[in-house]
Amino acid sequence: MLREKYASEIDTLRSRFAHRRSAVLPMLYLAQDEYGSLGEEVVREVADVLDLPPTDIFEVVGFYTLFYDRPVGTWMIQVCDDAPCCYCGAEEVMAALKEQLGICENETTEDGMFTIQRVKCLAACGNAPAIQVNLAYLYDVTPEKIDGMLRDLRSRAERGETFRLSGRDADDYTLAPDGSLQRIERRLGKTPEPQPSAA
Amino acid sequence: MIPEELAEMALFERETQQQYQHQINVCVASGCLSLQSDQIRESLEKEVRRRGEERWCQVRGVGCMGLCTAGPLVSVGPFTDPAAALYQEVQVSDSLDIIDSLGEGAVSRLVCPTDGPFFQRQVRVVLENSGQIDPERIEDYIAADGYEGLLKVLTEMNPSDVIEQMTRSGLRGRGGGGYPTSLKWTTVAKAVGPRKFVICNADEGDPGAFMDRSVLESDPHRVLEGMAIAAYAVGAGEGYIYVRAEYPLAIKRLRQAIHQAERLGLLGNRIFGTTFSFHVEVRLGAGAFVCGEETALIASIEGKRGTPRPRPPYPAEYGLWGYPTLINNVETFASVAPIIRNGGDWYARIGTEKSAGTKVFALAGRVTNTGIIEVPMGITLRDIIYEMGGGIPDGHAFKAVQTGGPSGGCIPEDYLDMAVDYDSLVQVGSIMGSGGMIIMDDTSSMVDVARFFIEFCMSESCGKCVPCRVGTVHIHDLLTRISEGMASMGDLSTLVELCEMVRNTSLCGLGQSAPNPVLSTLRFFRDEYLAHIRA
Repeated sequence: MLREKYASEIDTLRSRFAHRRSAVLPMLYLAQDEYGSLGEEVVREVADVLDLPPTDIFEVVGFYTLFYDRPVGTWMIQVCDDAPCCYCGAEEVMAALKEQLGICENETTEDGMFTIQRVKCLAACGNAPAIQVNLAYLYDVTPEKIDGMLRDLRSRAERGETFRLSGRDADDYTLAPDGSLQRIERRLGKTPEPQPSAA
Repeated sequence: MIPEELAEMALFERETQQQYQHQINVCVASGCLSLQSDQIRESLEKEVRRRGEERWCQVRGVGCMGLCTAGPLVSVGPFTDPAAALYQEVQVSDSLDIIDSLGEGAVSRLVCPTDGPFFQRQVRVVLENSGQIDPERIEDYIAADGYEGLLKVLTEMNPSDVIEQMTRSGLRGRGGGGYPTSLKWTTVAKAVGPRKFVICNADEGDPGAFMDRSVLESDPHRVLEGMAIAAYAVGAGEGYIYVRAEYPLAIKRLRQAIHQAERLGLLGNRIFGTTFSFHVEVRLGAGAFVCGEETALIASIEGKRGTPRPRPPYPAEYGLWGYPTLINNVETFASVAPIIRNGGDWYARIGTEKSAGTKVFALAGRVTNTGIIEVPMGITLRDIIYEMGGGIPDGHAFKAVQTGGPSGGCIPEDYLDMAVDYDSLVQVGSIMGSGGMIIMDDTSSMVDVARFFIEFCMSESCGKCVPCRVGTVHIHDLLTRISEGMASMGDLSTLVELCEMVRNTSLCGLGQSAPNPVLSTLRFFRDEYLAHIRA
């Protein structure tokens, strides 16, 4: 299925490198976005597409944090628990998440909505504690905002407004006082000329 | 693009910008944005438009200005304007006053004093454009002398001249190791191979380090230019930037920057009409800290598990797919273009004799001014923490500063007057590292700090060699026992023995340096360990 749906991407990937194996990581991101996780069937399909032994793919999936070999929630919540974030309350954020969702680290809620995971430094120490949701940054998270945040994420999922696990469409957010996600707009550069109205 | 066009383009862009009598730059990097700087920008734009002044007054979003704690930051220029100033903690309601003040005089209640040490002690080489240009427009970079260094090497210098300038500059690898950059370049230049590669290591991952992310987000072209110059010097035709997948914005801006540069012929085939071609591609990591180690990074690009291999052979001779490969860190590449433009001697005059130039540091933890600074080597830790960092907040006392991430150590108050350079940090049991500085106050338990960092190494160990895979687990267990008051004096000596063994027998830098945080806290804060044991 990958082969048909992403034919041109796969062709580009395969032709770009001297060795087919170099396409493994980009290919796994593609597959993970498509299927949500990298179970055995998916790995075999990737191996087939790249014409490599499946073990070569399995070992890669098992090694990297961002490849998931079992189904994960629609939202993969990754909490940075490194020193600067912990200084600013990352453990409290983690505790609030666990309590609200009723799950532990590396578990998924029964409705398949959320998975939580601890990760190491996300390089947002200036806005600690920071978490990432499907690789979108959420800055300055506090335990009080967790409830609102989860509610917002849930309603986004219901509306189909999710971003892919690979973070290809991830963005930066801060949390409003009620916990809802506020997209940080990074419009740069010069003001665009105002468009003359259609009338 | 032919060489003359670059100068023309720069001139045109500068003239365009000079048409504006007033320029208002709003910081839209992550720090200020989380404080709604985008709304400030919008209200400024709206007000300028309402007054019909958009032909004279430009409102722009720019990259990080550094002093994140005082955000949202807004700067008004050009400096000839009587209202030129840097404003701090700006609110949407201040926009009117800011625009009223243009050409008159700065809004005094908002002025952020730039004569304070935070700004005055900085020497900006790598960050010269951060907060000054729009990272998504190549024209902005070109107007700030961008790609002039590349033009200079391609039209006036041969590869050995370039390396000569790098030797004179005394630049050492900014990723942490501090290996002289020119030596690395020389080895790759001398290596023989049908293909050669240049790799930019943007797999930043040290706790407390967020400089590379900021550079990539605020000035991506600078890194590309540095890579292209390096490629010319060593004879490479292809390059990869290995970025963490966790940096979506940096990835987006890099891809955009590569696309823009290719369209103008500043990357790609026959750059500036010469015979030199250089193609760059972005490769994503997948969440493995160890991939910052150069041989592991290469394995990851090759599509394998990111595990290191023994060196030699070094990547300079046997790297990506077995071809000679040059690997440097983001900050190293970002320093190259200014060195070429101004000459190696200029750079060598900054900093100390053995550690030339400037270093970007990220201040995090218990310090008043968190953010990113660039300082000359040789500045003291006290100046960084107390003068520039503004000291320790909430009336607490300083206890230690952690440099070099999980490979570094904790430096206590006694050494605060030490000059910061590669060698002096090693002497006190730490390392320069990539530039993260975590400041700790008297509420922190140093045993817990050590446990934190060992936990980091434990979870990030790739598992290839036994000392690191097993040793870090045992060190962690011992530290847990100590911090829970369950340990004996015998455990303490086992801990030291174990640390030394892991340090001496691990395969790569991650394992070899993993015990550093433990050993350095044991050296300077032994009392705390003893207190836990006796308790």
